[in-house]
Amino acid sequence: MKRAITAAAVFTTAVLLTSGCTPGSSSDTGSSDSKTFEFWSFTGIDQKADVDVYKKAHPDVEIKLTEVGSTSETAQALTTALAGGKVPDLVLIQGDDLPKFMQSPENFVDLATLGADQKKADYLDWVMKQSVTEDGKIIGLPTDVGGMAMVYRTDLFKAAGLPTDREQVSKLWPTWDAFLEVGKKYVQATGKPFLDNTPTSVFFQAVNQGSERYYDADRKRSYDKNPQVKAAFDLALKVHAAGVTARQTSWSTGWTAGMGKGDFAAVSAPSWMLHAIRTNAPGTAGKWDVATIPGGSGNWGGSYLAIPKRAKNPKAAWDYIAEMQSPAGQLAHFLMQGSLPTTPSVYSDPQLLAKTDPFFSDAPIGKIYTDSVLGIKPFYIGPDDATIGIELLNTLTSVEQGKVAPDKAWNTALTNVKNALRG
Amino acid sequence: MKPTSSTAAPTPTRRRHASRVPFWVYALLGVMVFVSVFPLYWMFVVSTTDSATAFNLPPHILPGGNFLHLAGLVFDTVPFVQALLNSVAVSTAIGVGQALLCALAGFAFAKLSFRGRNTLFVIVVLTMTVPAQLAIIPQYLIMSKLGWVDTLQAVIVPGLVSAFGIFWMRQHISSTIDDELMHAARVDGATTWQIFWRIAFPLVRPAAFVLGLFGFVNAWNDFLWPFIVLKSPDRYTAQIAIKALQNSRDIDLGLAMSGSFLATLPLLVLFFLVGRRLVQGIMEGAFKG
Amino acid sequence: MLSPGTIEKTAAQPARQRRIHLGVRERLAPYAYIAPFFLLFFIFGLFPLLFTFYVALFDWDPIGEHHFVGLANFSELVHDPRFWGAMRNTFSIWALSTIPQLLLALVLAHVLNHVRLRAATLFRMSVLVPYVTSVAATTIVFAQLFDRDYGMLNWFLGLLGFQHIDFTASVWGSHIMIATMIAWRWTGYNTLLYLASLQAVPRELYEAAAVDGANGWKQFRHITIPSLRPIIVFTVVTSTIGGLQVFTEPLLANPVGGLTCGAARQCQTLTLFLYEQGFGRFHFGYGAAVGVALFVIVVIVAAINYVLVTRIRSERP
Repeated sequence: MKRAITAAAVFTTAVLLTSGCTPGSSSDTGSSDSKTFEFWSFTGIDQKADVDVYKKAHPDVEIKLTEVGSTSETAQALTTALAGGKVPDLVLIQGDDLPKFMQSPENFVDLATLGADQKKADYLDWVMKQSVTEDGKIIGLPTDVGGMAMVYRTDLFKAAGLPTDREQVSKLWPTWDAFLEVGKKYVQATGKPFLDNTPTSVFFQAVNQGSERYYDADRKRSYDKNPQVKAAFDLALKVHAAGVTARQTSWSTGWTAGMGKGDFAAVSAPSWMLHAIRTNAPGTAGKWDVATIPGGSGNWGGSYLAIPKRAKNPKAAWDYIAEMQSPAGQLAHFLMQGSLPTTPSVYSDPQLLAKTDPFFSDAPIGKIYTDSVLGIKPFYIGPDDATIGIELLNTLTSVEQGKVAPDKAWNTALTNVKNALRG
Repeated sequence: MKPTSSTAAPTPTRRRHASRVPFWVYALLGVMVFVSVFPLYWMFVVSTTDSATAFNLPPHILPGGNFLHLAGLVFDTVPFVQALLNSVAVSTAIGVGQALLCALAGFAFAKLSFRGRNTLFVIVVLTMTVPAQLAIIPQYLIMSKLGWVDTLQAVIVPGLVSAFGIFWMRQHISSTIDDELMHAARVDGATTWQIFWRIAFPLVRPAAFVLGLFGFVNAWNDFLWPFIVLKSPDRYTAQIAIKALQNSRDIDLGLAMSGSFLATLPLLVLFFLVGRRLVQGIMEGAFKG
Repeated sequence: MLSPGTIEKTAAQPARQRRIHLGVRERLAPYAYIAPFFLLFFIFGLFPLLFTFYVALFDWDPIGEHHFVGLANFSELVHDPRFWGAMRNTFSIWALSTIPQLLLALVLAHVLNHVRLRAATLFRMSVLVPYVTSVAATTIVFAQLFDRDYGMLNWFLGLLGFQHIDFTASVWGSHIMIATMIAWRWTGYNTLLYLASLQAVPRELYEAAAVDGANGWKQFRHITIPSLRPIIVFTVVTSTIGGLQVFTEPLLANPVGGLTCGAARQCQTLTLFLYEQGFGRFHFGYGAAVGVALFVIVVIVAAINYVLVTRIRSERP
């Protein structure tokens, strides 16, 4: 009998504990306190730093920051939440995931109603265009762009008889073909791989340097007909065929390990990638430097802040956006964390130009990355962009793993994309 | 089949024929213990060093001193204490709930006669063949209608349903409780509830306990459904918290392993405390066809 | 309720035929006992299942609209190479994990049943350790151990002079990796189930066999296995059901691969495909269709296994 009572007590306590913890109708996302809001971000972008800055400036505001997961996982969680769960007040959406949400703009607050139309002009227009609907509703405000660069190991370059100064290195590879030649020279000299992989470090960069990507100017899917896409694809195949890569898929265990162990000497790196390198290979501090990327201007990455329609506290969320994403706010974030601002007015700011990174041999990352986005020929990013990109990437990875023959790769890629888009 | 008098004192004849255990058996068992325990040990080693060391070859198999630092990082990255508490709450509720509900229903199926008993039981058994994952989409829609998305009860309440538990309890109650006993109690004027609570339940408490334990362990390790329905970090269970550690683009293996180890630790502790009971429970609850 | 007359009458009858007259409350009591379970069961067990069949007939976007498409999802599924690939992966992983696992469990149970085994409890407990280890944790550990360049397994292979195997890249390799994870977790559990049933087998049978000159192997084949038939049936059926639904291991073994478990979906199982469609791409209807297909497959395969295993003939020495 005693046992039963204990059991029942435990059970009841457990239920009480859990029901006490559930929001349900209770105010969890700040309905009672108008200074609280819930913020979903993805990992690796260090929104926490921004949140801390804001909290210091506004000590009465309570921000619940959640790093939900990767960019796509955060987008999935957002979709799930919009479908009928709890929505955050503020959410960070990566650029490739945004188009799908743009298709159902009724799920978000039109930021113009909160004052965003006055701020529109502060931002790069090609970035801003992505988050404005055809009838002028502003769904998101941009937080950063990736830019592009090629990061390399100075010590390994030296050992291979290559120059180490970043100006000289940048001159070595104005084009991808020249880059390939450098790679071959490196491999010949050291016998070790030059680049980490081709799908991410070559294809994804090259395809972002064109004037059109997977959708044409009429917003129709054109990935299969666009010669620039095919050219980027073939380029990746060419580099793979030359045998100059370590064939480590980006963000895999081997890639992370290899970075620290010097398994490869070069990695394509948008500005947000620098953070990853710093975290993955802390022992290599000071041994890296940043050169320009072969092929010209381009952008990879960039995110937007949006407010879901059912948010409990849109005003507080908007105040945050207005302050932290103003040109001054984005500059401050850049100086702190390295994500490139989307507000061109600060590109000539002396602080930005003078910003260097000791991990990367004091490279002037501000100047290098902003240069890489100037002269961009913006292209339209459509709703299925992420899917198409991933299928193309995966096919190239399969080639790298020896599972798909290079001459069949393009057709395989087209088939895979078609299959992925059907259902 | 009932065990025969194997508990009697061994006779000289028996001793002569109980053969010695061959060496290869111990070798095999040794390998088995090693294989069972090594991954856990490796998890511990990596959680006391860091990623870079984990990737060293030949492997460093001795623990390092980095445990506290990494553990601290784990608690910084995700609300891990909350996650552990959530797991405890959820698993306990499910374990206890299953034991009670299945004891109740199992008793009814085993000892009470009522219209539709056999049909309903067959339905229950049939659902044992149905994978839980099948219904996750509708179950999610139900949860969102109920407003239970991202709550712990969304994980607990469906978890209380265990067809296997009904089967298990019915089996035990059938074989442990005589019809004679029931009948005598009825003759004495006992109500059904009294029979259940005073007679049946105490007799099958060990089986119910084991069922509850299994329910607890399964709930602790459950991944798919919590992964879908829990979205805020302060609702995470331990398993989802581990996945969250793995999420960051900058994958820190040491961090992930540290979190993994911390999430397994409570179960290991529990296992050391009641593991013998668990094993005995499985042994005693032998299936009799 | 009970009247003295009833009791006397019933006392006079043989035990088995005695019936106590129960009042209405008592007759309804059983329903009250099964009610809590069945209430939850209907809401969270049966109804979602039926609803899955319903959703599968729609093109259902959770944040958009849904419209009825009849059996279109199913015909698309049949023509979808990803579905067949996932099916192949599921069966392959299931076979690779279940068969060796159950065989090993049988052997271990037979061995652990030995009367003079020392430290029996220690062995029995350690065999269950994998079962209580968290699945997410296990997957991360094993994925690292199987890494192409830096995993311990490949390092060991290298020592023996073999080339490193890229487990996650190859179909077979990824299946072996995942099957290993699953077998590691469940072998101990099944061992104990078998062992428990073995304990009910009379020692005399084994001793008589030993006297007759049967060695360990013959004892195993002619006594152990037939005695375990009911529990073998049970474990085969439950392993089948569980094995065909594998989800967590493929999801976590390849964090980079997202929801496809490999760049070419090398180890994407049906359940992972269901999840990818339902919660990755938010095609709820299509995902539900995968769910229905999975249900049909599980029922068929479990039934087949059941029939096959119940045919183990009892052989008496």
